[in-house]
Amino acid sequence: MKPLYIAIISIFCIVAALTGPAGAASADVTVVSSTLDPQVLMKGDTGTLTIVIQNTGSETVSIKSARLYGNGVVPLSEPYLAVGDLGAGNSKTFTFTVRADGGEGTFYPQFVLDFRNEGNLRYPVPVQVENTPLSVSVVERPDAFSESRTADITVRVGNPRPNAASGVQVIPLGTGFTVTPTSGFIGTLASDASGTVTFNLTPTAEMDVTFQVVWRNGINTHTTDLVLPVVFGEDKRQADPIITNVEVKSEFGRYRVIGDISNAGLESARSVIIAPGAPATPTDPFRVYVVGTLDPDDISSFEVTFAADRNVTEVPIVVEYRDDDGNRYTSTTMIGLGSGAGVSVASAAPAENSSGEFPIVGAIVAVLVALGVAGAIYYSWRRA
Amino acid sequence: MDSGFLRVLLEPGRFFQERMRGEPGLKIPALIALVIGIIGAVSAAISANALTEGLPPDMQVFGLAGGAFAVASGIIGGLITWVAFGIVFYIISMVFMGDGDFKRTLEFTGYGLIPQVFGGIIGAIFSYQIVSNLSVPIISRPEDIAVLVESVTTGMLSDPLTPISGIVGILFLIWSANIWIFGMKYARNLSTRNAVLTVGIPVGLYILVNLVTLIG
Repeated sequence: MKPLYIAIISIFCIVAALTGPAGAASADVTVVSSTLDPQVLMKGDTGTLTIVIQNTGSETVSIKSARLYGNGVVPLSEPYLAVGDLGAGNSKTFTFTVRADGGEGTFYPQFVLDFRNEGNLRYPVPVQVENTPLSVSVVERPDAFSESRTADITVRVGNPRPNAASGVQVIPLGTGFTVTPTSGFIGTLASDASGTVTFNLTPTAEMDVTFQVVWRNGINTHTTDLVLPVVFGEDKRQADPIITNVEVKSEFGRYRVIGDISNAGLESARSVIIAPGAPATPTDPFRVYVVGTLDPDDISSFEVTFAADRNVTEVPIVVEYRDDDGNRYTSTTMIGLGSGAGVSVASAAPAENSSGEFPIVGAIVAVLVALGVAGAIYYSWRRA
Repeated sequence: MDSGFLRVLLEPGRFFQERMRGEPGLKIPALIALVIGIIGAVSAAISANALTEGLPPDMQVFGLAGGAFAVASGIIGGLITWVAFGIVFYIISMVFMGDGDFKRTLEFTGYGLIPQVFGGIIGAIFSYQIVSNLSVPIISRPEDIAVLVESVTTGMLSDPLTPISGIVGILFLIWSANIWIFGMKYARNLSTRNAVLTVGIPVGLYILVNLVTLIG
């Protein structure tokens, strides 16, 4: 053997002897933690994956690069191509931006550390993807909606997801209504927690109200909609004015209607006003009759006067009232002026004098007549 | 005081004394009775209208028929009243040996009705006022008409203007009686005392009945 060869072999052995411990040191680098923000992704979400490695050995390890590979959850950020040395006992953090492109489930993107001298470290990082949205429901609403009547609507938002949702707010969307507040903020909802928001909604027409729940999963904004149809109907509790005990009287060219009005509903009728409707023409002294507030089961008498043509057999008596919110309602009762249908007319009752006062003018006329007659008689006998 | 009607009212003695010189005539007395009847018909029409107000449209034909009957009764009633008083005066004056034909009695009785024209006009105005104040219940069945009539009658009688109207009517009747006294004195050739009795008895009874009705 030539001396040159012997020298080459010797150098190789020396190098081999020096580098041998380095391969053993790379085995001491381990992944000590991996965290994902948010903890659970939804499809399409972008998250931040943080991986911490530590050199648990007694020698420095030289790391060439750190990369993340994966399907379903794909890295968006660039790999770490020049990591450098990691001293004994030291740790290092790698952060990757990932996006959930696949479906639901748990994905395992590979974290790969390439060591400068030899080998690499592969570590599958578990990433959970779940598409379950926040749940939203109406927990309180009126039995029926009425035009221009304010209704309290309470919306509850629940979080069935395994991680918290932040910035949760509810926004009513649509036209044909006014609402207070214009949006409700709940904030962060922990897993399996819920929050409620109450809206005062005043519809002006029948329509659909969309309660849109806006929330964030990490930096990703999501929405969940709840559509509430607003259809006008009869409120089971609303005031229900009923006209009874009606008497219709004719007074030389006009009619006088006397009756009772009672509230058969469960809520108060406020500012109750009673007036005759067309074809009747209201006349003095009772063009309208103001009852005021009529509480449930209350009863009040009323009186209206009006003129109507001879051929009119029925006239409507219009009751106008308001609810506690000031919304106006009307109800109409047809009153028969004769043999027509409707509320029964009065049986014959003694006619009434409208004034009931002593007729002073009549008395004066009588006195003047008496004086005149007495004077005429006296004069006639004097001239006889 | 040359005007005829004014003389009847203020100087009936002299008026009838002068009328005795001529032949008895019934045209003017009949005209006076007819005017009184027409005025009475107006009052009757006002009251009938109040009744009609209480009838439903399909029954108002009954009200109109009743009104027409009331108007006719009013017109005829003026003439009947005239003749009736004349007959009564003639018969009573027979008790006092009255002398004079019936036609003259009827003529002077008719002149004595002139105050009733004014009384009728004032009475019609009062009737209108009373009916205006009336509340008439509306009926739906034909069998309730009698109740309606009773109701309207009760209402009219309960009006404080009704007794005043009755008193005014009595005052004008007293005025007529005063004229009739002079009329019977000349028509039946009675003494003043007998003429007063001839007229005073029936008129007094008539007034008494009216007062009893008014007092109730």
